[in-house]
Amino acid sequence: MKIRIRLVYELGGPLLLIALVALVGSMMSIAQQANVINILVTATIVIGLYVFIGNSGVMSFGQISFVAVAAFAAGILTSPVAIRSTTMPQLFHFLAVTKISNLESLLLGALLGAVFALLTGLVLMRLSGLAAGIATFAVLEITYDVITYWNKIGPGARTLALVPVSTGLSVSAIGCGIAVLAAFLYQHTRSCRLLRASREDISAARGIGVSVFRQRLVAFTLSGAIAGFGGALFVHELGSIQSSQVYIDLTFTTLAMLVVGGSGSLWGATVGGIGFGIVDVFLRNAENGVALGSLHLSIPSGTSTIILGAFMVAVLILLPRGVTGSRECLERFSMKRFSKAVRLDDQDVPRKP
Amino acid sequence: MFTVRSFLRKGSALAIMAVLALILTSCSSSSSSSVAASSKSNTSGKGPVIIGAVIDQTSYMKSFDDPALNAAEIWAKKINAAGGVDGRKIEFKVYNDQLKPALTRSDALKAVAAGAKILWVTCDVDLATPAVEVGLEHGLLTVSPCTSTNQMGPERFGSLGKLAFTFGNAPESDGAVLAQLLMQHGWKTATVVTDHSLSYFVSVCKYFTHDFTLMGGHVVSQLSFTAGDHTSGQVGTQAASLPSAATVLCTTTTPSLPTFVTAFRTAGNNKPIVGPWSIDGGFWEPKNPTISNNIWWSTFASVFGDDPNPQVRSLLAELQAKGEAPATGGFVTGPTALQGIVAAIKDTGGSLNGAKLAAAMQSFKNLPTLSGPVSFSAAFHSVVGRPYRIIEVTNGHPHFVELLSPGKYASER
Repeated sequence: MKIRIRLVYELGGPLLLIALVALVGSMMSIAQQANVINILVTATIVIGLYVFIGNSGVMSFGQISFVAVAAFAAGILTSPVAIRSTTMPQLFHFLAVTKISNLESLLLGALLGAVFALLTGLVLMRLSGLAAGIATFAVLEITYDVITYWNKIGPGARTLALVPVSTGLSVSAIGCGIAVLAAFLYQHTRSCRLLRASREDISAARGIGVSVFRQRLVAFTLSGAIAGFGGALFVHELGSIQSSQVYIDLTFTTLAMLVVGGSGSLWGATVGGIGFGIVDVFLRNAENGVALGSLHLSIPSGTSTIILGAFMVAVLILLPRGVTGSRECLERFSMKRFSKAVRLDDQDVPRKP
Repeated sequence: MFTVRSFLRKGSALAIMAVLALILTSCSSSSSSSVAASSKSNTSGKGPVIIGAVIDQTSYMKSFDDPALNAAEIWAKKINAAGGVDGRKIEFKVYNDQLKPALTRSDALKAVAAGAKILWVTCDVDLATPAVEVGLEHGLLTVSPCTSTNQMGPERFGSLGKLAFTFGNAPESDGAVLAQLLMQHGWKTATVVTDHSLSYFVSVCKYFTHDFTLMGGHVVSQLSFTAGDHTSGQVGTQAASLPSAATVLCTTTTPSLPTFVTAFRTAGNNKPIVGPWSIDGGFWEPKNPTISNNIWWSTFASVFGDDPNPQVRSLLAELQAKGEAPATGGFVTGPTALQGIVAAIKDTGGSLNGAKLAAAMQSFKNLPTLSGPVSFSAAFHSVVGRPYRIIEVTNGHPHFVELLSPGKYASER
């Protein structure tokens, strides 16, 4: 019973936070809502990162590749067919003529992300440590170059425009919620527990027969699916996409969110994605001037990045395991109650003299 | 015991903090507003014409966006002092998008919410797209002062793009004027060097090659590099060895241009190096006067104090006095765009309806502006055929040489 309550906290905490953010966002102006939507979409991608990095303990710089592939696929296939011949004249025929709905593009994004992750994972998941990190970075580089320079699959270095905007507040909140649910369900599977065992002690895990490669591949594929889903949400949020938007900046921003929040828990990923996003938006708005009641706050142009960096360093020095300590929502609280209950149960057990 | 760590570690506390921060961000964020004071003293009873400028004031487009806007704001003050447009003052509401796409979109939405009837966007269509789309979705006339591509219009944005214009030159025109320059000086053979990092560079060199060949010129060789690939020096040395009368280089100032020029001159070639507006400014030149010599480019205006138009010189002096000296001649596109907007408002009898303003703008034929005559058409929402200022660098000193039109091939497009 106590364990079930812990699970309710574990799932309910992130979902409640997302709902709260969406609720507050719904009271804002349309311009400010755009920021909230961006925060929720970015949080979805961060949760995608968590599924692999958090559970496996292997650093990956390649997840934004899955975001990129899904975002461009979703964007191209939902953009007006008539405009594709002028903006992307060299496009493959099937890409030039196929049109899908926005909802279908979300599913396609998840599918493409999963397939791409599976294919790359078949090679990369055999690596560990620094080699794995560098190899995933190489995937990011290759994906970026292909998207930027191969005009048969997209607009190249140009921005893809006229993508229908459908990621509103409710869609972004639901999307983020789905990512949380998927991550939650996965982390309670046997596969994830085996993966976590390999994270804690890879030799011991192998010693008891865990196929580290297989478990990592499963997590990497699911992570790719969530990242791809996030990518499709992303392109329908802005109505346009350029390859540079899904490259280094987004990679390090989302990784920073995960690390600051606490990479070892779903709660950490959600809090990191949303909390870091809020601070980022606040500081960027402050560069243009923000009215806080009667107080007008304005910081010099370009300082938001410096402040954000300093904030990140401060958090990591004070809290190396992230602001949540890589614990699930109210984990300490529920664990204390659980321990207390166990102690009480123990007292009821007749002891041998 | 209370510690910072224990406090921060409490996830619930953090969640509350996050939501509080979110609420704080919902507090109205304001833009910097210029010419606002004068708008309050509007005597006609009509509200101001609000132009929402969503531009970069932080990142690498700052050097293009800021001078154009600063010059436009000076120009707007003059218009307002003379009674405004149709009795209405012009007011800029400025938002710094920092080239962040999400921020660009939300800033554009803020501008619309603040009553902007015209959207003014950054000088690169790819970076401006999130803002342009907001302008088009809301039926606003959407203008870029110095985007140098015809993509700022129906070519990129389909039928919605009828509302989008740029007062920068089309690459068709930029390529044509370079061909004209070479032929005029009797440089009938050329090496063409293309930087593949931007489609603008590729287009300019493509149109140069096309027009130059039609005019009887001969392209000896086509070379290329991509900015950042560290090969511009090698390409410079290779270009220097070719037997052409001039080398046409389509790239921008940094990081490749100084390396290319140094390698080219060091290899012993002192023949002309010619480039489009993207190499304007002179700030990038190597200090050695024997290297920074015989370099030519076309631009909107001379920033070296010798522009043939006294109004341009006066505006430049005003900007310099304010500590806002522009690096390139692109600053005149700001007042030019404003002149275009004012002319369109007058043509529509004072309407701020985006479709009406766009229709009026599309019908411009040689509209006199600070940067020269401006024409648009259904096919071209960027400027073709406007005369260019030709700048030459002699022993490290850039100076105005002549006004040059792009010629008949550009006009025929």
